[in-house]
Amino acid sequence: MTIRVILADDHPLTRKGLKDYIEKESDLDLVGEASDGTGAWELIGKELPDVALLDIRMPGENGVSLARRIRDSGLKVIPVMLTSFDSQQYVIASLRAGARGYILKTVTPDELSRAIRIVAKGGLYLDGEVARSMEESDSAFESLSAREREVLLYAARGLSSKEIARDLIISERTVQTHLGSIYDKLGARNKTEAMLLALKYGVVALEELIE
Amino acid sequence: MRRHLLIFLTLVIMIPSFSALLIGGIGLVQHERTMERVARSYVQDMAESVASRIEMGWNRTRTSPLSDRERFLRLRQITWGLSIPGWMAVVDVHGNILLSSSGAEVLPLIWDRGIPVGSAMEVDAKDGDRYTLAAYPAGETGWYVVIAVSWDKLLGPMLRFSRWPVMVGLIGLLGLVSVFALWKWLVAPLRILGNEVSSLQWGRDMPVADHPGAVFEIRRLRQVLHQLASSAVDRAELVKRYVGDLVRVQEEERSRIAREIHDGPLQDVTALIHQIRLALMESLPDGRDREHLDNAEEGARHAVREMRSLCDELSPPWLDLGLGQALEELGERLSRYLQVEIVVEVDCCEDLPPEVTLAFFRVVQEAVHNSARHGKASRVAVSLGKAEDGVILDIEDNGTGFDANVNYEELRVRGHRGLANMAERMTLIGGTLLVEKGREGGTRVRCMLPVTSVSV
Repeated sequence: MTIRVILADDHPLTRKGLKDYIEKESDLDLVGEASDGTGAWELIGKELPDVALLDIRMPGENGVSLARRIRDSGLKVIPVMLTSFDSQQYVIASLRAGARGYILKTVTPDELSRAIRIVAKGGLYLDGEVARSMEESDSAFESLSAREREVLLYAARGLSSKEIARDLIISERTVQTHLGSIYDKLGARNKTEAMLLALKYGVVALEELIE
Repeated sequence: MRRHLLIFLTLVIMIPSFSALLIGGIGLVQHERTMERVARSYVQDMAESVASRIEMGWNRTRTSPLSDRERFLRLRQITWGLSIPGWMAVVDVHGNILLSSSGAEVLPLIWDRGIPVGSAMEVDAKDGDRYTLAAYPAGETGWYVVIAVSWDKLLGPMLRFSRWPVMVGLIGLLGLVSVFALWKWLVAPLRILGNEVSSLQWGRDMPVADHPGAVFEIRRLRQVLHQLASSAVDRAELVKRYVGDLVRVQEEERSRIAREIHDGPLQDVTALIHQIRLALMESLPDGRDREHLDNAEEGARHAVREMRSLCDELSPPWLDLGLGQALEELGERLSRYLQVEIVVEVDCCEDLPPEVTLAFFRVVQEAVHNSARHGKASRVAVSLGKAEDGVILDIEDNGTGFDANVNYEELRVRGHRGLANMAERMTLIGGTLLVEKGREGGTRVRCMLPVTSVSV
């Protein structure tokens, strides 16, 4: 069974390279290309692809906003961000908007096809260059205490320490202590990384993130 | 001792007037004494001379007794033509007046005082006047000639020393009134103006335009100051707008360059990487060809990373995500770059206007750099929250602290623009920046943006 893919990017040469990557794979079928947000939206409506590779910055509508539109319209299309922004906050913003993958444009052909296959199967793919700690083992999560899991869940939903402290009826300092110990156990450098890890290991469901 | 204007003015008024009073007083005393001596010898001589005239005139016609009327006419004849600034009287030994000139009516009132014969004396009459009088016996007639000089007539309009204290009191009172007037219209307005100007923030505050109670010169001074302050405010506003324009243009330019790099060269080189990879995949080169292509790919990937970080440095694209996420991203990046722990807490304000977001972002960027570089901090807490009257952004570290008395201008002159830049950024969006000692000994940079400057 082939995976039907569309590609939206305003840069012709980039599009050309990525197109060649996809066409090399027999199980991937590039059914259309768009050079701006508006064109991409029309193409999605017409082709109803399995996976939509969307550039974040495009003329017309940007990729994050398109992902949100796909989610809101209830289409069975999986948005994947294909971008030059190596920002974890963009990863978070994309995931909140309903994207299932975040890929940098310098991706290798193998990684690109692997990512498309993962998201098509309902998985989550985040570029290793952006989400560095995604390679941690599951066992790290086992070492989290129940309270720490709870704190991480709240943090992953985007709550501030103050808000977590209020909701869990503990002091802000305790929240900070929990977060510190979570980072240590997971090898995360900050809240965003811990959050991405929580997502990856299913501590937090992607749906819980969505705005 | 400080030379207060009021004391000075009081002395300037009082010294000459009281000196004049003193000199005048001494003169008057001298004058009065002289006049007293003159009057005494005058009345003595006059009394003596009249007495001798009566004596001589009487001796010639002493043979037969005279009737009262004849005696009066006789005496009148003898004393005819006598003119004195006072009066004269001829009395018998019992004090009955035989003859008198006008004004002598007061004689009975003073007669009982026991007037020594032959020498003059001063007598205060009950009518308030003062007389120098002398009595002289007129030979064997048994009568006395009394000559009196009225001080009122003699000294006339001249002041008498007895009224001096009243005069001094009056002048003293006038002096006090003058001093009060000086205080009210000159010194007090000057002091108020001085206090106002000394605490005036030049370029921001305005002095009161007029002081209706003050003297004209001070009102004028106040008007001039008001005009100056007004032009200083205008100039400050102009400078602020100019700096604002500079910052805005700079940010716009940075953002434009970042976008150009991102949309142009960055995409081109990314495409180049794809082409190299495709070449590697399709033609399966080996040996030196493969090495060249691998090097080319590695070089291109390096260029992409460089351009990305250049874009982030110029104008991070993730600023579009809102202040909260932008600060999180910044914190994470700076934490890696500066090797300090950075905790970012954002509790509000996702929808701040772009210029406010940018200003806060730049302040945090600068402050965290300062904490790590100058404060040698190992931990920085960044928190953004709503306060009663606006938004507060705190950047607090556990570093070595900061000299609270620092002068931004001085730092700027010495080439450290960081603090001044942060303060400027806040001023431009209508906020304030305060650098103070942190709770744990480090430094706290506090930015306050009043609610009027932004709708939270």
